[in-house]
Amino acid sequence: MSFSDNITLKLWLVLCCVLTPFAVISQSGKISVSGTVTGPSGQGIYGATVAVHNSGIGVVTGEKGGFELSLEEGTYTLEVSYMGYKTASRTIEVGSGQERISITLEESPYELREVVLSGKNMIRKIEEKAFNVSVVDAEKLHHTTLDLGHALDRVSGIRVRESGGVGSEMNFSINGFRGKQVKLFIDGIPMDDIGSSFQLNNIPINLAERIEVYKGVVPVGLGADALGGAVNIITNTYKKSHIDASYSYGSFNTHRSMVNAVYVAKSGFTAQLNAYQNYSDNNYKMEVQAVDLETNKYYPKRTVRRFHDTYHNETVIANIGVVQKSYADELLFGITLGNSYKEIQTGARVESVFGAWHRKGNIIMPSLKYRKKDFLARGLDFRLNANYNLGQEKNIDTVNVDYNWLGQKKEYDTPGGERSYSLYKFRNHNGLANAVWDYKFGKAHKLTLSSTFNTFNRKGNNTLEEDSESYEQPQKTLKNIVGLGYQFVSDSWNLTVFGKQYFQENKFSTRIGGSNNEELRYVKATKNYNHLGYGVAGTWFLNEDLQFKVSYERAYRLPGNEELFGDLINLAGNLNLRPEESYNYNLGVGYWWQLRPQHRLYFAVNGFYRDANDFIRTRLQTNEEMQTKDNLGKVKNTGLEGEIRYQYGNRLMAGMNITYLDLKNNSKDEDTYGDRIPNIPYLYGNADVTYTVPDVWGKGNTLSLGYNLLYVDSFYLFWPSLGTKSTKRGIPEQISHDLNVTYTYNNKLQFTLECRNILDKNLYDNFSLQKPGRSFSAKIKYTIL
Amino acid sequence: MKSTSYFFGLFTMSIAVSLVGCSSDDNGDGGDNGGGTSGESKYIIAATPQVSEAVADYLLTADDLGQGTITTRGNGVEQDGTWRYYVTHNNMFFSMLYGQGNPGAVTAYELNAEGELEKLTNFQSETVQAFAVVNDDILMIKISRNATEPYAYWYRLDISDKESIGIVDEGVIDTQKLADTENGELAFFSWITQVGNKVYLPYFTMKGCCNDAWGTEYPDEANIAVYSYPEMELEKVIRDDRTSAIGSYFTNGLTVDEKGDAYAFSSATATTGGELSSTKPSAVTRIKNGTTEFDQEYYFDLEEATGGLYITDHVYAGNGKFLGIFGVDKASSSGVKYGVIDAYNKTVTPVSGLPEPDDIEVFTNMNNYVSDGGATVSTGITDKAGASYIYNIDIASATATRGLQVEQGTITTISRLDPAE
Repeated sequence: MSFSDNITLKLWLVLCCVLTPFAVISQSGKISVSGTVTGPSGQGIYGATVAVHNSGIGVVTGEKGGFELSLEEGTYTLEVSYMGYKTASRTIEVGSGQERISITLEESPYELREVVLSGKNMIRKIEEKAFNVSVVDAEKLHHTTLDLGHALDRVSGIRVRESGGVGSEMNFSINGFRGKQVKLFIDGIPMDDIGSSFQLNNIPINLAERIEVYKGVVPVGLGADALGGAVNIITNTYKKSHIDASYSYGSFNTHRSMVNAVYVAKSGFTAQLNAYQNYSDNNYKMEVQAVDLETNKYYPKRTVRRFHDTYHNETVIANIGVVQKSYADELLFGITLGNSYKEIQTGARVESVFGAWHRKGNIIMPSLKYRKKDFLARGLDFRLNANYNLGQEKNIDTVNVDYNWLGQKKEYDTPGGERSYSLYKFRNHNGLANAVWDYKFGKAHKLTLSSTFNTFNRKGNNTLEEDSESYEQPQKTLKNIVGLGYQFVSDSWNLTVFGKQYFQENKFSTRIGGSNNEELRYVKATKNYNHLGYGVAGTWFLNEDLQFKVSYERAYRLPGNEELFGDLINLAGNLNLRPEESYNYNLGVGYWWQLRPQHRLYFAVNGFYRDANDFIRTRLQTNEEMQTKDNLGKVKNTGLEGEIRYQYGNRLMAGMNITYLDLKNNSKDEDTYGDRIPNIPYLYGNADVTYTVPDVWGKGNTLSLGYNLLYVDSFYLFWPSLGTKSTKRGIPEQISHDLNVTYTYNNKLQFTLECRNILDKNLYDNFSLQKPGRSFSAKIKYTIL
Repeated sequence: MKSTSYFFGLFTMSIAVSLVGCSSDDNGDGGDNGGGTSGESKYIIAATPQVSEAVADYLLTADDLGQGTITTRGNGVEQDGTWRYYVTHNNMFFSMLYGQGNPGAVTAYELNAEGELEKLTNFQSETVQAFAVVNDDILMIKISRNATEPYAYWYRLDISDKESIGIVDEGVIDTQKLADTENGELAFFSWITQVGNKVYLPYFTMKGCCNDAWGTEYPDEANIAVYSYPEMELEKVIRDDRTSAIGSYFTNGLTVDEKGDAYAFSSATATTGGELSSTKPSAVTRIKNGTTEFDQEYYFDLEEATGGLYITDHVYAGNGKFLGIFGVDKASSSGVKYGVIDAYNKTVTPVSGLPEPDDIEVFTNMNNYVSDGGATVSTGITDKAGASYIYNIDIASATATRGLQVEQGTITTISRLDPAE
């Protein structure tokens, strides 16, 4: 990168991050508009939406139907909607003294008690975006014991693979892209290298309000270097004081609990607390061949229990600050504290079994959140997020013992480990700042400028090898992704164009000398990357219910910190990695069909194409037992995903989705050019049905029955075209059925019984690594509004 | 030759049957003469496709190394990944896992009457860095490269009875104590060679620490630890300062001829701080039958004889003749040339009829096939265009003939089995 580029970059940084939002506070002269929304009999309607037409401004009514808006002088049209009622609109003149309004809603002609949510909810609003996006309504899953990972597994195009039970290693793929090629966000904040204590496999679904999955083309506001897509988890926000708490107990001695508490004072002061915990022995049954530790012969196959797979984590997320103030819509100072412990039962194959190796990690992450609409100027919205992780990870393999599946052991009296003798402790010192400016002008235009700034500075030591100078060398990265987007919105179509500038600076040491009596020295070095990506997304509504989408992105993914510097266990760093790149195309159509008043159907079909180069892949390091990453692969991916959802009143909801990928090796100089990439599921889907019975054992109490089916077709571990079919290794077809029953009492107390994998099938995501069989759990959730 | 060849060379290893005195040939004759079997013997070829991920080895069978084509496409017994090594003994073919620190399943195969490989047994093996047939055992050694745990673990796998293959004995060697250097370097066994009724373990020393794990302050010495067998008691360490270390990581450097004399090959590629530091040339030395000392009368400078090439591997054909695989540049470990070494007369004859060194992408290392009587050595070469062939090298004339083509795979092992009874 040239000197002038560096200046440009710094300017961006100054613009986007350094400029704090506290310097100037919006001085606009706003007038408060208040009112009430009532039904025909005069009762206040709680939860109705009051929206200012064509402005994006809106509020939800309070308990007695009251609402308050702050608007500048002028004429506005308010639109008020609530399910079961006709949408009402009212034109008001702000500044004319008529700032107290009362609006009465008429009941809709449909049968009242069972009218379907027909107003556009948040889920549909996001699905109507030009991007290829899927949304999970997480609240519908709050009664389950799912973690975020298992909830994601139900989204079309996504596959989550895990190596075992609770807390086991989990990785998810979006349409065949996997690992770090897909990015994870919480409320728009990237979750890179955040540590083992705060991960998909341990965050309960109750933390989320919804999950948005962007496939292939990622909006500029998410400032991500994602090659194949991104998942954005939107956490619960409460405008008023609220407490809910839940606890579940299930098979394999699994305990999970969560407390969610929000306090909002009239003054705008707010305190939020999320605390959750997972514990499991994970001692589920496996069908294995145990080895005789003396002769190394295998005993015949038998069923044993896992014996070294305990996992637990405890996490607290606390925020304190203000909401709805003139200087901030939200200003929160927070801290995430967490702790995790994980025993490691197996290696990459079931033959390698461990009985003492474990890992520990913690997270100490202060954070800052700031949001303000109409910041500095009308139409200019600003949000800033920042956090810094002081957490530490430890890998503890200091017992020189061989174990077998019967739990027997053979001890050696020399120092060593089960896999690799180590007691390594390190902190990654991840820092992150993310700033987004949105500027709306005219009726239909919006500009977005975002910047995501990431730092990494690993410091650690191997307590078994304290004085080694190699641990003292710098391992630092600095990443900045700046995005600029323009959006045009009209009633029937909208268009987004954007560009993203990717910058990465790596600092490390190279070793010189050391031979011919020359002293060994370390020389500090710096390496920079600079890439420009861009994209376009458009959508067109033929009518209110039929939507077409098209999008394209030239996407880059910068090498991750572990890929550059290693994970200190199995992975050696490679400082010469270049970014991965891909051309991503999407084409989709969606149709909402109101069959009859109570019957709604939704269909969506998306086709996609990806042409990716310089894939970062794992290879074995020369002369070492460790693996390393390299830019090796070229891949072409064509695929189709389809989804159908059906809803009958508020009683029955059913849906299914299916994804097919044709992911092919596109490296012409390889022996498997044109062959399907192995070890990636290519045909998979989900189906679910929920039936709700109203007024069970009392008015307002509901009983709901849920069923979920997961299907993954079989796939090969190694290249499909090679070898005699009967000798090939593969992951068999998987069909898993889950059932749950939930009884909700008085909207406050919820009891759930859940059974996963009812048929007790042997399930595998990874070759030979069996997942839990049938499991039961019971959950109780209590909410105080 | 790009780095993958070095990589493949290191990690897709097998042992040529000729490396040990007791080879499968004896059993092969028995099979042919027995008359109780209906099938023909088959060549077993392990092939590794050239792909950047999800690589598995495939075991192919062929009737003739001299001509024809075989492929891994829809054909071959799939192995659980690559980075495997292969041993043929007692008419059994062992496919062992180099598991990056994990123990893993090892599979033994035999040839059935239909001429197909049939799985015999599974047993578990550690990831080891040296293994060889000694008597009717496979002796395996797992060697530490880390000064914080300076131990090598040896395992004696009894393969005399195919019904009960298993480990019968094991032990620990303190490699820091064995190396006995002032700076506490570790001994790293390059390979295992049975010499008479003893086991010779040539080793190089390495720091195993301080960011120069593979480096040494002792680049100019050859060491062999001599052990009794099967007790594995250390008897003595024999040392020679005329060459650098014998063999190298995962590479045999010591072979016994028909007279019982052991020839030691040094590639002289030791490094210190990442730079080459051996000052001695690549050379051959000898230990005479019945002695446990280097024969100071015998020394053969290979660099002088070849005009600067250094030996990276060797295959014993017989009567003092070896197929030598030579490297061109020690610093970049690039280039590969083949020559017939006559250790008795101290000559090297370049092999003709092979691709130019610059056209060679991948080559078979230590798992080449030696015909009965040692007249021909068969080796695999993959050219830059990705085509793999077996070259049959006539040792007497030092000429190679291109033979069997292997499609969609580089050749990592060539061996032979007779149908089992």
